[in-house]
Amino acid sequence: MAISIADLSKEELFGQGHAGCGGCGAAVAGRQAMKALGSRTIITIPASCMATLGGSNLKTTWQIPFYHTLFEMAPAVSSGIRAALEAQGIEDVNVVSWAGDAGTADIGFQSLTGAAERNEHMIHVCYDNEMYMNTGGQTGSQTPMYAITSNMSKGKAVKKKNMLAIMQAHEIDYVASASIAYPLDLIAKFKKAAEKPGFSYIHILAPCHRGWQIPAEKTIEYARLAVESGLFELYEVDEGVRNRTFEPTFIPVADYLTTQGRFKHLTSEQVVKLQKSINVYYGRGGDEE
Amino acid sequence: MSTTLLTGSEAAAYGARLARIEVLAYYPITPAFPAMERVSKFIDDGELNTRFVRVESDHSALAAALGASLAGSRTFTVTNSQGLLYMTEVVYHTAGLRQPVVMAVANRALSAPHSRFPEQGDAISQGASGWIQLFCENNQEVLDNMLQAFKIAETIRLPVMVNYEGYIQSHTLEEVEIPDEEKIDQFLPLNRVRTLDVEHPQGVNTVASPEFYMDYKFRQNEAMEQALTVINNVASDYAKEFGRDWSGLIEAYQMDDAEHVIVAMGSMVSDARIVVDELRKAGRKVGLVKVRAWRPFPVEALREALKNVQLITVCDKNIVYGLGGALGTEVKSALYGQSIRLNSYILGLGGRDVTTEEIKKVLELSEKTEQQAITSEWFGL
Repeated sequence: MAISIADLSKEELFGQGHAGCGGCGAAVAGRQAMKALGSRTIITIPASCMATLGGSNLKTTWQIPFYHTLFEMAPAVSSGIRAALEAQGIEDVNVVSWAGDAGTADIGFQSLTGAAERNEHMIHVCYDNEMYMNTGGQTGSQTPMYAITSNMSKGKAVKKKNMLAIMQAHEIDYVASASIAYPLDLIAKFKKAAEKPGFSYIHILAPCHRGWQIPAEKTIEYARLAVESGLFELYEVDEGVRNRTFEPTFIPVADYLTTQGRFKHLTSEQVVKLQKSINVYYGRGGDEE
Repeated sequence: MSTTLLTGSEAAAYGARLARIEVLAYYPITPAFPAMERVSKFIDDGELNTRFVRVESDHSALAAALGASLAGSRTFTVTNSQGLLYMTEVVYHTAGLRQPVVMAVANRALSAPHSRFPEQGDAISQGASGWIQLFCENNQEVLDNMLQAFKIAETIRLPVMVNYEGYIQSHTLEEVEIPDEEKIDQFLPLNRVRTLDVEHPQGVNTVASPEFYMDYKFRQNEAMEQALTVINNVASDYAKEFGRDWSGLIEAYQMDDAEHVIVAMGSMVSDARIVVDELRKAGRKVGLVKVRAWRPFPVEALREALKNVQLITVCDKNIVYGLGGALGTEVKSALYGQSIRLNSYILGLGGRDVTTEEIKKVLELSEKTEQQAITSEWFGL
């Protein structure tokens, strides 16, 4: 069931003329996802960069029904949309809520956990840039430990909340992580999610070069380094069965961290500590020292 | 057509059933929950073909109802007090999106201090939200207003709240006539308008710049003004079809030669009606103006109904802190430029009893008060 780039639809349902920054990871994620979802999709997007870069006033780049919702309610709105489609006998439409890390893990978490518990027939996507970029880049629960943001100049003192584990605990139909540096892996996961009768959750690491303080043309490169270092694992939990979808080459995590502006203050001890936790996670002997 | 004993909650549920709602979403709260449970029972018993979205909060309840409405289905939700306040953000948003969602509200006092008893403060708090608000004086009107609410909402594309007081109406049995389903289907045919439609994709709620925002708001307010006519027309169409005339925006009762007039809304209206009848028997020239539509506020209708009276006594079951009763304040504003004596009273907050005796005492007090201060007087402390 391998997909090749040549098989993908040439149709662009999102992204042509979007108002995001050059090198925006979220916009890349949107374009890739729409290759899998197709035109019979309704998307709801709460307050976020993604909600605004898709259009304003009388213009939109979305070629599908797109609704910019209030911040904390996209999964609830999508539940209602699905109920209405069912009531009207419309069966072949994907219903997707697409939120940033705040609209997913923080302010949006209540409606997300509700919709997941009800196993609503829908897909929730978290495009995770690890900080509140639409308001200038403040710290949230998805900000990694140590990262400097616009309101925590000394770096975050506590760990990133593991949203994938939380969503897996809901025992929903499908949970997957994805990265914009691995489009075929991402697209395959969206295709799987779209086939499920219940709730799917896809968590995409989508770097924001402004927040991460990296060159705009290196968005994809950093997304790849996060995966290759083992820091961001690509996997899926398909109806309870866990499967790693990409084996990293385990480049040193320092290669990913130390050139990002948000991590420029990391001490070598902190880098070693992070490297060790990756080694432990993958059973690579990091706990032996 | 059949007559049966129903609580206000059941009357609201029968209204939703007769309207053949397609999607229901609610989060349980007291005292609105019996209405919710009744609609769920209709669904479970196969008497209503409706999708129920069992949301995790009041905020999500209106969000789900809104989503369903955007996708073209007739939708309904129920709440009150804290639940209504929690969903406030979505209340305003729904009106801005011009979605014809209907919401029943079993009016209850707001915290703090905590109270689960009747009062109109919850609905009043949403007075600037852009929802049409109807107040019901009895359970028959709850059912009839539910049906009219869907008709009004879908005609003018604005959401409608149907207010009835917690316990006094929600939990009290009254005789209610249930109209025939076939006749309701003719009065309220299903007409799906899909805002979110894969066949006709469009962006909804895209960011509006200063060049656009104000014009959207002008149109929204214009629709509220047009609703003044729509509410009257729907009430009169309903009266023709079903024989019960709730008189549109306001009802003028015993007003032909009235000198002293009570203005009220909700459950106090039925008590005031009895007081007017009693005082009329004693030869007193008293009358009643019932405000049925609080939003849009019926300024012209009130000015016309009240133009020849000498004294107006407004009864409010709510308080706008630092100002007074909401209805009293707005009646004063509506009568600007007319020199009619007007006294306004706050009573019955948080479930404090208001019977015909209290209303009579308020009328006596008002007659003795020459010219009230700008804020409302508190009665029954």
